Amino acid sequence: MIRVENLEKRAGETLLLRGVSFTVAARSVLGVIGSSGSGKTTLLRCLNGLERINGGTIRCNGAHLEAALTDAEYRRRVKDLRRHIGMVFQQPNLFPHLTVLGNVIEAPVHVLRSSRKEAEARALELLESVGLKEAAHRYPEYLSGGEQQRVAIARALAMNPQVLLFDEPTSALDPRRSADIRALLRRFVERGHTMVIVSHQLSFLEGLATHLLYMEGGVAVEHGEWEKVVLAPRDGRTQSFLQHALEERRQSA
Amino acid sequence: MGTSDKTPRPWLTAVLVVCALAGAVRAQPVLRWGADPSGGAPYVYTDPSNPEQYVGYEKEMVDALARAMNRRAELVPTDWETIVSALQRGTFDIIVNGLEPTADRAQQISFSKPYYLFQLQLTVRAQDDRIKSLADCRGRLVGTLANTAASRLLESERMAYRGYADPVGAYRDLELGRIDAVLMDVPMEMFYARPNPRLKPAGAPFHKGVYVIGLRKGDEALRAEVDAAIDAIMRDGTLERILRKWNLWNDAQNELRPAPPAAGQTAPVPGPEAVRYDLTATSFNWAKATSRLTRAALFTVALSLGAMVIALSFGLLLAVGQAKGPNWLRGLCTVYVEFFRGTPVLVQLLFLYFGLPTVGVALPGWLTALIGLGLNYAAYESQVYRAALEAVPRGQWEVAYSLGMSPLLAFRRIILPQALRIALPPMTNDFVSLFKDTSVAFAISVWELATAYRELANASGEFLLMGVIVSAFYLAMSLPMARLARRLETRLQRKQAAQLAVAEVAA
Repeated sequence: MIRVENLEKRAGETLLLRGVSFTVAARSVLGVIGSSGSGKTTLLRCLNGLERINGGTIRCNGAHLEAALTDAEYRRRVKDLRRHIGMVFQQPNLFPHLTVLGNVIEAPVHVLRSSRKEAEARALELLESVGLKEAAHRYPEYLSGGEQQRVAIARALAMNPQVLLFDEPTSALDPRRSADIRALLRRFVERGHTMVIVSHQLSFLEGLATHLLYMEGGVAVEHGEWEKVVLAPRDGRTQSFLQHALEERRQSA
Repeated sequence: MGTSDKTPRPWLTAVLVVCALAGAVRAQPVLRWGADPSGGAPYVYTDPSNPEQYVGYEKEMVDALARAMNRRAELVPTDWETIVSALQRGTFDIIVNGLEPTADRAQQISFSKPYYLFQLQLTVRAQDDRIKSLADCRGRLVGTLANTAASRLLESERMAYRGYADPVGAYRDLELGRIDAVLMDVPMEMFYARPNPRLKPAGAPFHKGVYVIGLRKGDEALRAEVDAAIDAIMRDGTLERILRKWNLWNDAQNELRPAPPAAGQTAPVPGPEAVRYDLTATSFNWAKATSRLTRAALFTVALSLGAMVIALSFGLLLAVGQAKGPNWLRGLCTVYVEFFRGTPVLVQLLFLYFGLPTVGVALPGWLTALIGLGLNYAAYESQVYRAALEAVPRGQWEVAYSLGMSPLLAFRRIILPQALRIALPPMTNDFVSLFKDTSVAFAISVWELATAYRELANASGEFLLMGVIVSAFYLAMSLPMARLARRLETRLQRKQAAQLAVAEVAA
């Protein structure tokens, strides 16, 4: 579904991503983990075309991004890419001037040119699936942070993406709301959604991710099936990160 | 002995003479006279060859009068529209400015005997064959000076006219086709229109009137002194010499010449009956004034609304050009904004009205005011937009992009509606400012509320009452708008606070 090869991203002289390669198969869930500053978020932003890459390639279905393209061609391909890939940000960033329903149907109506009636029916289904059907006609400012994030998820799903990217979707939420979101994602997994979830907490990814990518210093240190990476990490850096994570968990338990 | 008395102290004599002279100079009283020298030829105007001094036939006449009165003349430049009030305020002692004795002025000030007999002359464009007399002007627009014999004649004839502050503007607008004819006193016509090959007189001069000197009521001693001086310079031919020099003499002037004093008889004291040529006796009509004020107020509101629409649409283009355009466009927009914010709107209007016709663009006054104010406020609104656009979080753009929106769609559907909400309170405030700034349009003879105030207050002498009424008109509009701006502001602040609270709870 997604194939990333040798991805490179620079900001001025600083190398933010270097030689990152991995694949995401259909119906699999890739967890991207690493401490802050490791390049996880940058990676996600590259996958969604919010950052222009400086080397390597990104492929998703037919769309194909590479560094050498002209600006216009790059923009055109990013547009293609975004048809397949949806994204949920750390902050919900709901459109404050639109109702919850308006938030969800905005892109289907104006980008996909669906009829308003169709888009609304689908949006209400999606809102029901995130448990917010009653809130359809309220404005975002009257929702809690967790509710806002669930609307943001419904909004991304309304574009029928084949892959959904999540950038630390619960880091702005308290533990209970965070658990709600996690339960929601769990249902998506069961339904066979393809997802990439960035988190700095191993526990959040556990039971969601089928695969794990450990990042450090802009490098993909280790990538593989969840059990293999978690139970038998080959790289020393992965081992020490996992050890920390496990210890923290034991202490908090 | 006799000679020794005088000769030994010649220095003492010298000192005495100097003291006497100095005393005389100091004792010579000043005659302060008020006149409007802007566009005031040939009465009194700034000497084009020496802008430090004033010239004009009335300047020379007042100098002669002052000599006859053993006084020193001192010109106090003033504004024609407010000249009567300035006299009453004591800014100067007499008005000498081609003043006609009218009934409404007679209620406020007193007059000397007449010193000049004038007529009115209609002027049209050289190629115009439609208008041969004032009657032909019916249904057309005639220009004249506000608050003069000509304007009162047009008013009493119920003919459409536009009042100007100076003859230059009136004749220029005639040339440009903004008006169809100009009606003015012959002296001004002689000076400003006759030499212009693109204009021609329509018909012969008509409608006699006189010029008098205006004095404060109760200033009887000065009035007698002035009348005596007028008699003196008429009798000894000084006035005729001055008028001939300025090409203003005609035999009709002899009518004003005082009868030679018969033996043992003094000249009759000129009473009110000397004022024989009062053109019209329009007493002030309050009902009409109120309806004119209302029309002026409606026009002012329409002008501000129209200018704001221009400012809002053009300002948005400027803001987007400045934020997202290529480098040359950014530079251009910045220059525009700085130019229009850095120069007074009055200067911009004068430039548009008087400057553009030289390159062939002659817009009517109301359109000039509309466009001028719109362009000026566009510069301010562009900065309001810019601040508002910057206040919309970057995440909003990114979410819109990630949903597949193009930059234009994201701007139109997501960013602009939010920016407009942020911009609404400052824009409402700017609208109130714009509403008040429409008053500068009086400089280009647009009949809005401030112009109406000046004209009607001058005509009635009721500066205070008229000022209260006009202020009420302004406040009736600006106060609710200012209130609305405040309400929008608090609503926005509440919203932002609520959003912040959600974000904090979430974090």
